[in-house]
Amino acid sequence: MTDRDLMIEARGVEKWYPNGYHALRGVDLNVYRGEVVVIMGPSGSGKSTFIRTFNALEDFQGGEIVVDGMALSDDVRNIDAIRREVGMVFQQFNLFPHLTVLENLCLAPVLVRKREKAEVEREALELLERVNIREQAHKYPGQLSGGQQQRVAIARSLCMEPRVMLFDEPTSALDPEMVQEVLEVMQELAREGMTMVVVTHEVRFARQVASRVVLMAEGEVVEIAPPEQFFSAPQHERTKQFLSQIA
Amino acid sequence: MERPSALQRLRAALFASPLDGLITVVLLAALLAGGQALLHWLVFKAQWAVIQVNSTLFAVGRYPLDQQWRLWLLTTLLAGATGLSWGLLRALPRPDRRAVLWPTNDRLAVALLSGLGVLVPLVLQLSAAIALRWWLITALVLACRWLAGRWGAALPAIARRGWPLIWPLLYLLGMTLIAGGFGVPAVSPYRWGGLLLTLIEACFAILLCFPLGVLLALGRRSSLPLLRWLSVLYIEFIRGAPLITLLFLGQNILGLLLPGGFTPDRVWRAAWVLTFFAAAYVAEAVRSGLVALPPGQMEAARALGLPVYQAMLKVVLPQALRVALPAMVGQFINLLQDTTLLSLIGLFELLGTARAVMANPAFIGKDAEVYLVLAVLFWCCCAALGLGSRALETRLNTNPQPA
Repeated sequence: MTDRDLMIEARGVEKWYPNGYHALRGVDLNVYRGEVVVIMGPSGSGKSTFIRTFNALEDFQGGEIVVDGMALSDDVRNIDAIRREVGMVFQQFNLFPHLTVLENLCLAPVLVRKREKAEVEREALELLERVNIREQAHKYPGQLSGGQQQRVAIARSLCMEPRVMLFDEPTSALDPEMVQEVLEVMQELAREGMTMVVVTHEVRFARQVASRVVLMAEGEVVEIAPPEQFFSAPQHERTKQFLSQIA
Repeated sequence: MERPSALQRLRAALFASPLDGLITVVLLAALLAGGQALLHWLVFKAQWAVIQVNSTLFAVGRYPLDQQWRLWLLTTLLAGATGLSWGLLRALPRPDRRAVLWPTNDRLAVALLSGLGVLVPLVLQLSAAIALRWWLITALVLACRWLAGRWGAALPAIARRGWPLIWPLLYLLGMTLIAGGFGVPAVSPYRWGGLLLTLIEACFAILLCFPLGVLLALGRRSSLPLLRWLSVLYIEFIRGAPLITLLFLGQNILGLLLPGGFTPDRVWRAAWVLTFFAAAYVAEAVRSGLVALPPGQMEAARALGLPVYQAMLKVVLPQALRVALPAMVGQFINLLQDTTLLSLIGLFELLGTARAVMANPAFIGKDAEVYLVLAVLFWCCCAALGLGSRALETRLNTNPQPA
């Protein structure tokens, strides 16, 4: 792949938390357009922290991150510009409980992209249709199940028409019977060519959807490999150990 | 099995065990004895002349007689706006529901309003002309409520959304009517008194302490150290000082602190002190709402590209204020009652007027009647605030309701 296809480029990212904990120890990762990169690893390995640096929800002290050609800096306007292009889905959904589902979707496009409300609403309803939840458009998030809420959260991110989507353990807070409906939506999104970085423990999703799988441990990238190789013939001892623990 | 009859349920509720039965009997006896004594006093002993003779004084103080039409006009406007707002709230269900959300409170409020509106002028034996005006005003509130409830949904969206702006506008119009200006002859604040002065002080302080309190709460959680420290210093100083000392202090030094030559008279000095005092408590209520909000809300808003001020205005504050609402309304009710302290710095608001009236040799020994009327007046204002706030809470609660 050429550099023009590079969506996210992280080089030597170092992060210390204010309490002195060294969370990221020189992490490198390239994500290319249309790729689905799945990041796995034990808890505390820094995988969530890492993808949260891509849209500056976490700051970092060393290294460099370039998103869609824009280098992340401390400049607020630069950060806002990058956030407009990067969608994020959280473990806890983080829907706005005081707004209806439809209002959740339309808030940012109207306020940030300054688009016309009627037009955004039309698109939002189409998006809700795509995640199979259109009939809930006028309910409040608290009235939906966890799986429905997470699908709304995905639609809310998509409504900003992002170039890349980040998923931070999107199914970890869900009841088991609701995991599948969320994974199906994500799978569909990947099929349509969305660039995605997904932190998850769902092995089946990683096997079926990922272009490459990354193992992180103790704030470092241990192994990057295509899923067949990652799960069947891992190169590193740490990866084998991790896979044996989750199997 | 069949549902137990009303009598059976009553028996189960009141006489389930010998001890329950005993408690019920004792309480009933006390209630009967107390109620009978009160009724006896109200009907045979109480002499309402003290209220009848001084009713104007209690209502508006020494407001010039020939200018009182302005206050009647204002009361009529307020009654109309109250009724319309009330009806609109009922006519416009939330997107997720069709039915009215607080039918019980709503019916209770209608009953209270009609009862008080009809009975109070009768009990106090106000003159026929005045009593008639109060009945008409009560009828106006209910008529406007019905009208807005019936036709409110047909209004264009912009009118429905913009309607709450009527209140600040009415405040400005009301203060012009009361104080004069724009061609209306001026009436000095020294002539305002009674319920009028109480409400002027409370409304001014409530309207201003709210934005001030929100700013202080945000300041206290700001990342700018100087702003944070100053907010903490202010809030903790005010919360550590009794209101009465601040009121005395305000009468003496507020003129020195405010910029060149702007020395409000005693009435406004007191209003500013009340505002600054209540703002510190409102700030703490709002802060509790901000603390209760999961950090994920701000993160989600920022991740969508919203700048900080928009994330605050559209995501954080609406939720924080909803959490803070009960505490804030509690503070507003305190504020209303705290206005009675103004009588100690020589203002003739309700309590000050009452003390002046009771000092008159003609009305010696009529304290009970006067204080009872005062208590009922305050209770009405506070009940209205409380009912309104609970209606708002119910409307804003988006969690699933138990069926």
